[in-house]
Amino acid sequence: MSISVQVPYVLRHECGGKSELEVSAATVQQTLVALKDRQPKLYRNICDETGTVRRHINLFVNESLIHRKDGLETKLEPGDLLFIMTAVSGG
Amino acid sequence: MADRVVLCIGTKKGLFVAEASKSRGRFSLRGPFGSGVAVYSALIDTRKSTRIYASSCNAWFGMKVLASTDLGKKFKETKSAPAFPEKDGRALANIWSLEPGSDSKDLWAGVEPASLFRSEDGGNTWEMVAGISNHKHSKDWHPGAGGLCLHTIVRDGDRIHLGISTGGHYLSEDGGQTFNAANEGVGAGFDPNPYPEFGQCVHKIARHPDAPGRLYMQNHGGWPERPGIGVLRSDDFGHTWQSIAEGLPSDFGFPILVHPHDPDTIYVVPLEPMTRTCPEGKPAVWRSTTGGKKWKKLSKGLPKKDGYFTVLHDAMTTDTLASPAIYFGTTTGQLWMGHDGGDEWKCVFDSLPPINCVKAAVV
Repeated sequence: MSISVQVPYVLRHECGGKSELEVSAATVQQTLVALKDRQPKLYRNICDETGTVRRHINLFVNESLIHRKDGLETKLEPGDLLFIMTAVSGG
Repeated sequence: MADRVVLCIGTKKGLFVAEASKSRGRFSLRGPFGSGVAVYSALIDTRKSTRIYASSCNAWFGMKVLASTDLGKKFKETKSAPAFPEKDGRALANIWSLEPGSDSKDLWAGVEPASLFRSEDGGNTWEMVAGISNHKHSKDWHPGAGGLCLHTIVRDGDRIHLGISTGGHYLSEDGGQTFNAANEGVGAGFDPNPYPEFGQCVHKIARHPDAPGRLYMQNHGGWPERPGIGVLRSDDFGHTWQSIAEGLPSDFGFPILVHPHDPDTIYVVPLEPMTRTCPEGKPAVWRSTTGGKKWKKLSKGLPKKDGYFTVLHDAMTTDTLASPAIYFGTTTGQLWMGHDGGDEWKCVFDSLPPINCVKAAVV
């Protein structure tokens, strides 16, 4: 089952300039595992050594923040879009 | 032939590089490098061709290591930053120290949570040094306000001194294979035991290569009921420590620095312990030319009043010219230079972001 990962501009240099990656996965967690294998540099910018999504990275499935659904266990349907977004933070 | 003074200034908003002729009349500034995120450690590595390394603490994407081969005109990320082994359970939060190792590509990094990493290829790949990172004491270390950080690495051949907040002073005498706590005489004002085996909040350790057995330490002082524990000296490679705080206005501070040509001359920046700012708003560096027996206040050129800044643990350094200058950066974004070993001070930059670290080299 293919879903699309939307890569933000600031991380595209970590995956050969691609803005979108096609991944076969049924959950957000499976998507991250696939990225770890296929795009390890991109993955390390999203997750730390423990596999935790970094504090200021937000993942959306279509228009919903995964924390408002089932977190990393959020299920994906064919054609879904997983957005990697940088949270508003800093100062 | 060395003809330029180069400064690396790590700030809350990236790394700046400043450069001047040997007269140090005017520094030009370039930067910020590193996407404007905080830089807590930098190294000007002059062992072979000069390279600059800096850490970059990216709140979104994690730690990066930046490297420059052209004196900081441009920087590139190294291939990787230190990272804990996958099953370890710890995640890298910051890099607090970058130091040269034994050969030209050997780098050491002190990190948060308190651990040591080593690279043998100029920062492209890193290995955790288990002898301290998995030390039996490590589960009992705890973070101070700045985090649980290994911030000081002082190397002397196979002897390696580490400063950990809050863990204390650890010493290896076998090249980093094993480490032992070496804190006899190092006090802790926040612990029921005034002199614990380990767990002190060391702020900085310094030494001079001509006097390898003598070390100086700025410890977390400022405790009314335990006076004098903040500025210390060791004459036995760090196995035991004695107070040299007498004569200072406060034994609280962060950096301690040794003159590049005289192991008896040292510098501290005493701070008021509750606010961590200059006592009475009157900034001064204090110098001892007697290894800590007597101290002299150096404030010529510094503000006479209303100066309430902090100088952090890695934000004071010196160049190595015949008449060296002392440099310190402040949390209010000023970079100060003290001519003639600190006899007279001049503000080099007055509106940088808050400064975390300053390094100098003559190249």
